Amino acid sequence: MAVSPTEAPVESPGVDQNGLLVVENLKKYFPITRGIIFQREIAAVKAVDGVSFSVRQGETLGVVGESGCGKSTMARCIMRLLDPTAGRITFDGRDITNLSRAEMRPFRRELMMIFQDPYASLNPRKRVGFIVSEALEVHNMGTEAENKRRVQELLDVVGLNPEHYNRFPHEFSGGQRQRIGIARALAVNPKLIVCDEPVSALDVSVQAQILNLLKDLQSTFGLTYVFIAHDLNVVRHISDRVMVMYLGHGVEIAPKSKLYTAPKHPYTGALLSAVPVPDPDARGKKKVVLEGDVPNPINPPSACWFHPRCPRFQEGHCDVETPPLYSFSEGQFAACHYPLEGWPLTEDEMRRPSSGPVS
Amino acid sequence: MALLEVRDLKTHFRTDDGIVKAVDGVSFSVEKGKTLGIVGESGSGKSVTCLSIMGLNPKRNTISSGEAIFNGKNLLTMGSNELREIRGNDLAMIFQDPMTSLNPVHRIGHQLVEAVQLHRDVSKKQARARALDLLKAVGIPRAERRIDDYPHQFSGGMRQRVMIAMALVNDPDLLIADEPTTALDVTTQAQILKLMTTLQHEVDSAIIMITHDLGVIAEIADDVVVMYAARVAEQGPVDALFKHPQHPYTWGLLGSLPRLDADVERLVQIQGQPPSLLNPPRGCRFHPRCPYVMNICTTEEPRLMPAGDHRDHLQACHLDQATKDREAAKLLAGTMAEAS
Repeated sequence: MAVSPTEAPVESPGVDQNGLLVVENLKKYFPITRGIIFQREIAAVKAVDGVSFSVRQGETLGVVGESGCGKSTMARCIMRLLDPTAGRITFDGRDITNLSRAEMRPFRRELMMIFQDPYASLNPRKRVGFIVSEALEVHNMGTEAENKRRVQELLDVVGLNPEHYNRFPHEFSGGQRQRIGIARALAVNPKLIVCDEPVSALDVSVQAQILNLLKDLQSTFGLTYVFIAHDLNVVRHISDRVMVMYLGHGVEIAPKSKLYTAPKHPYTGALLSAVPVPDPDARGKKKVVLEGDVPNPINPPSACWFHPRCPRFQEGHCDVETPPLYSFSEGQFAACHYPLEGWPLTEDEMRRPSSGPVS
Repeated sequence: MALLEVRDLKTHFRTDDGIVKAVDGVSFSVEKGKTLGIVGESGSGKSVTCLSIMGLNPKRNTISSGEAIFNGKNLLTMGSNELREIRGNDLAMIFQDPMTSLNPVHRIGHQLVEAVQLHRDVSKKQARARALDLLKAVGIPRAERRIDDYPHQFSGGMRQRVMIAMALVNDPDLLIADEPTTALDVTTQAQILKLMTTLQHEVDSAIIMITHDLGVIAEIADDVVVMYAARVAEQGPVDALFKHPQHPYTWGLLGSLPRLDADVERLVQIQGQPPSLLNPPRGCRFHPRCPYVMNICTTEEPRLMPAGDHRDHLQACHLDQATKDREAAKLLAGTMAEAS
C-alpha cells in the first residue's frame, strides 16, 4: 500500500504544464491501522487515487461529484492542508508537493480557500475585522491602520457595510457570513482561490448573490478559481472547464460547452440526467436512474471504478481493463471504453453502446 | 371534497422577543392522488405549516388558528389521542434529515414493526412480514438480512428509503415530505423521487412535498404554493406557475436558478435577506426586496387574488396585469432564448 512520494508522475493527457496550478497523478490514501503499539496498516481509504488536471491563469475549473468522491480531500491536498500520498502539485511554476510548513508560508498568500460551512469556518469569538485582517498580520503586510482601511475596503467589495468591522460572526446571516469568508480569502491578494462548496449551504436567492459576487471579483481581480460543488447547475454557471470525479478519480474533464452538451462518460450522463429541471414540460423525459450507492473506497471495484453501476457495462472488458483518459474533441477527456455516442440519449441507448470499444 | 383542506392557517410562537408569526394565514387544498409542492426560502414557514397540520408543534407557547380539514375532521382541534390514531396511519410524514430521524439504538425492523402494531391489530410475525415487504418495495437490497441492521449501517440514501418505508407502512392517504431529498446527492435524489411517484401511483395517496428546489417541484408536483415570509405569495397549477409566474418573488426564484440547459451571464438576484417574522415589513412583505415596488406596496398588504381569469391561479401582488404578463414573458424568454 505504501506509495513512495517520489514516484515519478506519469505523463497525463490534457495537462497543460504552463498552467497556474498543475496537479499530476495526485493520490491521498488514509491508512486504517490496527494495534496499539505497533500500528499495522491493514487497509487504506483511497480518497483521491490519481487525479491530474491543470488550471490556467484567470480560469475557473469546476469539480463535481457525489459525496465521498474525494473532491474536498483533493482541495485540501492542493492547499497542503493534507499531505498527498503521491503525485505532484505545481503552483506558479514551483513544485509545492513536499515543501515544509515554513517553505510553504509565502505560497499561502497566493493560494486561499473559501470553505463550505459559513457557520463553522468563522471563529465565533473573534470580530469580523480580526478574522479578515488575520492573514494580513501573519504575512506582515502593512501597519495596523493600513490593514483596518484594507479590511473596510474589502467588506465594501464583498457587499457588506464597512461599519460591520467590529461585529461578531453570529450577528450575520449565512449569506453574509459567506461574504466574510470571501473577504478573508481576498485580503492577501491571492492568485488562486479554492472554493469548497461555497454556496451549498445557502438558499437559492442568496446563492445567486454569492455566485454573481464571485464572478464579479474574478473579472475585477483576475482571480483563478477551483470551484468544488455537487450541484451541476451551479458548476455550469461559474466554470470554464469542468472535471467530474468518481471514487477518487477524474472520470471526465472537458470545457463546459462540451461537458453539458456532449458528455462522453456514462457517469457524467447519469449525473446530468438526474438533475431536476425547473420546467414542467421536461417531465416526460426518461431519466437514467443509477442503481445502488457509491462503492466503498477502501475496497474499490476492479478496473473501471464505475462498472458495478454503469448502464453500459461490458463483462470481461470494463471489469478487467482500467480505462485510460481517452481524448475526444478539443480538450475533452473521458475514462471510458464505451463512451456515449451523443446526447441526450434514451435509457435504452444508454444501455446499448452502438460501437465497439475505443482504442 | 378535497382530502385535506387548509383554511387560513396561522401558527404563532410566543418567544422572549415577542410573537413570531411563523405561519400567518395560509390556505390550500390537496386532492386524493395528487402532489402539492410548497416552495420558499429557509424561514418562510413551509415546515411549520406541515408541523401544524401534523400537530407536532410544541403545545407550550404555540398559538394556532384556522382549520385543517382532513377526511372531514379538523386536525387542529382534535384531541391528542384521536390525533395519534391518525398520525402514522392515514397521515404520515417523512423528515428532512435521514441521519437523525431514525432511532439509532433500535433495529430498522423493530422500528417498522412498531409503526405497524401501533395502528393494526396484527401479530408480530404479520407486522414483520409487512415491514419486509415495504423494505423490498423501497428497494433495499437483501432486505431479509438488512431488516435486522441498525440505522448506522445504512447510507444516507438507504436511510431515507427506510423513512419512506416507515411512512408508507400503513398505506397513508396523505404523505407529507419535508425536504426529503435535500441532504442527498442528485443521483440518490433521482432514485428517491422515482420511488415516491411509483409508490404514490400504487397506493393512490396524496403527497405534500416541501422543498426549496424548483426543479424538484417541476418534476413531481401538480399544484404549487410559493411561500414568502409566512404568507402565500402565489399558488396554482404547476404549468401555470412556471409558464405564467405572476409574483416578483417567483420571478426572482426562477431567475436566480443557474440552469443546466442555458448559459446566463448573470443570475437574477433578489437583493437583501428574508425579513424577520418578529416584525415583518408593513404592506407587502416582499416590498423591501422587490424591484417593482410602488407606493401602495409599502402601506397596503396585497390580497391573494385570481391571476387574470384563471380561478385556480392565485397571486398576491399590486402590480397591474399587463406589467406582470410583460415581465413574466421577458423572464421566460430570457431562459428560453439561451436554451435553444
